[in-house]
Amino acid sequence: MLTIDALKAFGADTDDGVGRCFGNADFYMNLVKTVPAEKKFDELKSALDAGDLDKAFEHAHALKGVLTNLSLTPISDPMIEITEHLRSSKQMDYAPLVETVMEKREELRKMCE
Amino acid sequence: MDRRLKYSEHSKKLILVVDDESINRQMLGYIVSSEYEVVYAENGVDALEKIHTFHDTLSMILLDLLMPGMDGFELLEILKSDESLRQIPVIVLTSEKAAEVKSLKLGAADFITKPYDMPEVILARIGRIIELAEDRMIIRHTERDELTGLYTKDYFMEYCAELDQYYPDWEMDAVAVDIEHFHLVNELHGRYYGDRVLSLLADTLREVLSSDADGYVCRYEADMFYMYCTHMESYEKMEQRIAEALKDMLHTDRIRVRYGVYPKVDRSVEMAQRFDRAKLACNRIRNNFMQSIAYYDTEIHDASIFEEKLIQDIRGGLERGDLIVYYQPKYNVQGDKPVLASAEALIRWKHPELGMISPGAFIPLFEKNGLIQLLDHYVWEKAAEQIHEWKMKYGRSVQVSVNVSRIDLYEPKLENRLLGILDKYMIEPSDYLLEVTESAYAEDSGQLIDVVSRLRSCGFRVEMDDFGSGYSSLNMLTALPIDALKMDMKFVRHVHEDVKSQRMIELVIEIADYLSVPVVAEGVEEEEQVQILKDAGCQIIQGYYFSRPLPPEEFEKLLQGS
Repeated sequence: MLTIDALKAFGADTDDGVGRCFGNADFYMNLVKTVPAEKKFDELKSALDAGDLDKAFEHAHALKGVLTNLSLTPISDPMIEITEHLRSSKQMDYAPLVETVMEKREELRKMCE
Repeated sequence: MDRRLKYSEHSKKLILVVDDESINRQMLGYIVSSEYEVVYAENGVDALEKIHTFHDTLSMILLDLLMPGMDGFELLEILKSDESLRQIPVIVLTSEKAAEVKSLKLGAADFITKPYDMPEVILARIGRIIELAEDRMIIRHTERDELTGLYTKDYFMEYCAELDQYYPDWEMDAVAVDIEHFHLVNELHGRYYGDRVLSLLADTLREVLSSDADGYVCRYEADMFYMYCTHMESYEKMEQRIAEALKDMLHTDRIRVRYGVYPKVDRSVEMAQRFDRAKLACNRIRNNFMQSIAYYDTEIHDASIFEEKLIQDIRGGLERGDLIVYYQPKYNVQGDKPVLASAEALIRWKHPELGMISPGAFIPLFEKNGLIQLLDHYVWEKAAEQIHEWKMKYGRSVQVSVNVSRIDLYEPKLENRLLGILDKYMIEPSDYLLEVTESAYAEDSGQLIDVVSRLRSCGFRVEMDDFGSGYSSLNMLTALPIDALKMDMKFVRHVHEDVKSQRMIELVIEIADYLSVPVVAEGVEEEEQVQILKDAGCQIIQGYYFSRPLPPEEFEKLLQGS
């Protein structure tokens, strides 16, 4: 079961995230629970695999917005990095960053079970 | 009660949250719903549909910029181009600095950055923008005249004052534009037509301002427009443009527009007063079909100050007895020798500062503003007192005629007032002749014939003054309850040099014969005129040939000699 403590231990800035939800921890956690199922993670990976940096930027940018709003720092930090590289259409190996994102997403998914 | 408080007490304002990310949408919606009603849209197309559905009640749009399909920028463009949707304030949701500038340029009122600030900050920003938008809406509704879209007078005056501040060196003109007898336009063609005339005039004035001058224009009241603009050497071009616009659109050249211009205004004069001056110039040419543009100048300035002084001083003058009633004799010329028949009471004003003032300077003025009634009452009283005095002194009644102005005829108990005066001085109605100008009959003949009939039934004798100057119909003449016709002075003036005038006099006399009433000629100065009038059958003559108007003591000498 997802708890604030578990999220804190995960590395999320829950004070910030819950504060953004007017102090309603349940509401905050309900939003967090929807994150692992977010299709954009996979769409981002596919776009990067296909070399479509514009598409990848769109997905990364959208995810960055959501993750930073929820203050899910362990996932949002690498996502910010990916987004900034993609903004300048930087040709690089995105796999390590994407892998971190995916690992943390998986970690979160397990916490939500 | 505070208007905003009232709203918030009864119903929450509605806010549309547009974001393609469900989590962002929910989070922001959750914050906003603590104070507002919220509707959601997940892309631009969906948002536009919701905006059209709720546009009457929507207080704000919170808009994400990067969305698939129609993005936030595209939606902003659409809102900006639509007059009714443009009024809804939009706050954009963004994490991009560059997007902030672009969206503000597209009309966004503010932005909220991502990740979101604390809820209190977001709500405060939303509250402030809604308040600003509502204030702007109130201003929009009150600053513009609904029909013409021009400024309303209060805002106009404010903006003119502002313009003065920003451009202290500009030479400015204050202009008053008025449609002559606009009530008739409305009455003859209906309100809708009248509104079209006003709108057309407003549009043309706006065009003039955008092409020929800088400044502001407003609908000051009903059919009066004010314009404050950079100095123009001539207003004929504007006049022509307006005349053409009226002709093109309404196919008429019968609507007359008057322009009063106070050029190169003196900036030490208050703004409202500058327009008073323009209006004064404009009113100077009322009913003058030869002139449609008048400029305020020192002559008008002096004349208005002079008139204002007369208006201020008349009551005091009457109380102090500065106004004196003179008597101009009327002679019966039917016999071999002219015989003193009666007199006309005429007012003279011996002003303590201005000296003798010509009746021509104050009578038309007082006729316009209604003060003539005061003057008439004064003359009626003085004349009756004089008749009584002469009766006592000489044992005979001298008939005196007094003027009854148009406005007097609307007094409900006019006959009672007059009979009261006669009672007070113990004189008979037959001693007292009432002169009513012909144009008064023409104005509302039915009502006035009624009043005059009542006066005659009380025993008064009524003369129709200035006969020939008005437009009495022949039909009305036959129904006319009068005891004498007093022909218009201008026929008499040229009678000895102009066949037409002679013919007119014969015609008036024929009409008088037909009505079985005598004819009085006034303004007679030459012997030749007397002879012609006498030969034509005119019975009574008044004028400088016999005597100028005389103060009572001089008139008495005539009585003694007759």
